[in-house]
Amino acid sequence: MSSWNSLWKWGSVALLAYVIVRGFSTPLQPGLVESSPSRLAPGKHALTLQAVGQPFAEPDAESADFSLILRSGKELVRTDITAITPHSVEADVIIPEAVPSPAMDAFLFTPEAGTLFLGNAFFVEDAAVGPLPADLRAEAPTEVAPDLGFSFPYQPTIVESIRNLLWHVPMWFAMFFVMGIGFVASLAQLRTGLVKWDLRAEAAVRTGLVFGILGLATGSLWARFTWGAWWVSDPQLNGALVTVLLYSGYRVLRAALGEDERVGRIAAVYNVFAFVMLVILLMVLPRYTESLHPGKDGNPGFNSYDLDNSLRAVFYPAVIGWGALCYWMYTLRLRMNRVEHHLLTR
Amino acid sequence: MTSGFRSTLQTAAAVTRMEWRLEWRQGHQLAAVALFAVASVYVAFQSADRQTATGAWTAMLWLVYLFSGFTAIGRLFDRERTANRRYLQWTVDPLGLMLGKLGHAILTTTALTALVLGTFILFLGWPEGLESAGHPWWLMGGAWLGGLSMTTTLVFVTAVASQVQAGGGALGAVLGLPLLLPQLILATRLTRGALDGTPVAMLGEMPLFLAALSTGTSVIACILFPYIWRA
Repeated sequence: MSSWNSLWKWGSVALLAYVIVRGFSTPLQPGLVESSPSRLAPGKHALTLQAVGQPFAEPDAESADFSLILRSGKELVRTDITAITPHSVEADVIIPEAVPSPAMDAFLFTPEAGTLFLGNAFFVEDAAVGPLPADLRAEAPTEVAPDLGFSFPYQPTIVESIRNLLWHVPMWFAMFFVMGIGFVASLAQLRTGLVKWDLRAEAAVRTGLVFGILGLATGSLWARFTWGAWWVSDPQLNGALVTVLLYSGYRVLRAALGEDERVGRIAAVYNVFAFVMLVILLMVLPRYTESLHPGKDGNPGFNSYDLDNSLRAVFYPAVIGWGALCYWMYTLRLRMNRVEHHLLTR
Repeated sequence: MTSGFRSTLQTAAAVTRMEWRLEWRQGHQLAAVALFAVASVYVAFQSADRQTATGAWTAMLWLVYLFSGFTAIGRLFDRERTANRRYLQWTVDPLGLMLGKLGHAILTTTALTALVLGTFILFLGWPEGLESAGHPWWLMGGAWLGGLSMTTTLVFVTAVASQVQAGGGALGAVLGLPLLLPQLILATRLTRGALDGTPVAMLGEMPLFLAALSTGTSVIACILFPYIWRA
């Protein structure tokens, strides 16, 4: 029994070590981020497309295995690749006097990374609307399934920060988990009036607050990277902030009650209320209001990046690892609370 | 069971009546809330000088409303600190008492909405560029409903905070302010939309949310209050 007691703790540390190493060392799949120039007039142009993530492999001199194709409306425009560097592709293109649509998407067919897409890569200025001349049309090459090994998927605007998924999301999960323990303990306290449940609830809220604050901090970092601001007014973010303030209120309430013998019961009442509000604020309200935050808009899960197998192989261990670490911290705090209670009531 | 519920409702009505009568008899407390509200409106008027954009207008309205609400509800359980508590504890069903206090909060909210909104429009006029509110009924209804979701939450918070022997008022503010954030965000958006004349179809959901929040917090308060009361 005691060996299991230390085993799961070491297990959580090992999982988190795996998550940190894997999370930071796994390469990101390549993706197109930017094109220059972004506006084109009819005529011949040299284009450059910038990429991030895993570098492109050296092109094979024998075969033309890279190809860049622009899409205007439903028609495809031919380009001639002139140079490929690890993180960019240069190509020549001829823009005709008339194009089907002024907004052009870019498709880069690569031998290893499959097809990379950049929507609205170029805008054609001063051109009429009309069909493409036949000599500029391109045929789509046969697509190659990507063969990149273990790598994280490329997502526009998120890019490298996708690794934060392994920190931010499991931290909130852990917070929910331990606050749930606190909720159950507070219900038991109200039912039985026993002090042991109060000690549990206090330990749970204290630990949950740490993870809530960590969740806010990692979320703020992510918001800065993807939305451009440390904090934005969004139902999900408001809910998260209110939740953390609410549970800080729990600690203030306990401190204000001090030595009062009713502290367990009153704190339990407040904690039950706080948990109900947590569910409403973080799980109900954001679903019904417009939110920038992923996984909302009436959808309880994540977006497509959740479906990626390599990300899953690190994300699930992260959820278990952070959850177990959180539970471990909770048991430590509980032991301290028990000792404190014992010393005070001796 | 039915008779039990009926007697609870009778208790609630009796508590509301008692609260309201005591408010009238001890007129200074009612006057204090009204004075606070009107003075805050006047400060807003002096600092805004009749040139207010819609956003600032609603922000000031809800700030005044928020703090008036705190003063009005924050002392709701003051009487229950003393001998009165022991008397009520023996004679009154806690659910009835809570319902009575909530009933009193609804009355207070109605009076406060009329007072704050009325004086606010009287002194500050309409926001810059507006002749009147786009949807006057929605403005009134939104203010009332927003105020209601605010006061019902405050009733519970005050009940918890009043258990603390000293400094309960400050504790009420500490516990209450974060809890009121979602309600205030919804309420400011609703009143702003009502001022601007945003199509009603776009406002439609917000009153529902506010009503749901008021009902939800009231129900939780009713379930949990007996535990505090008997502590």
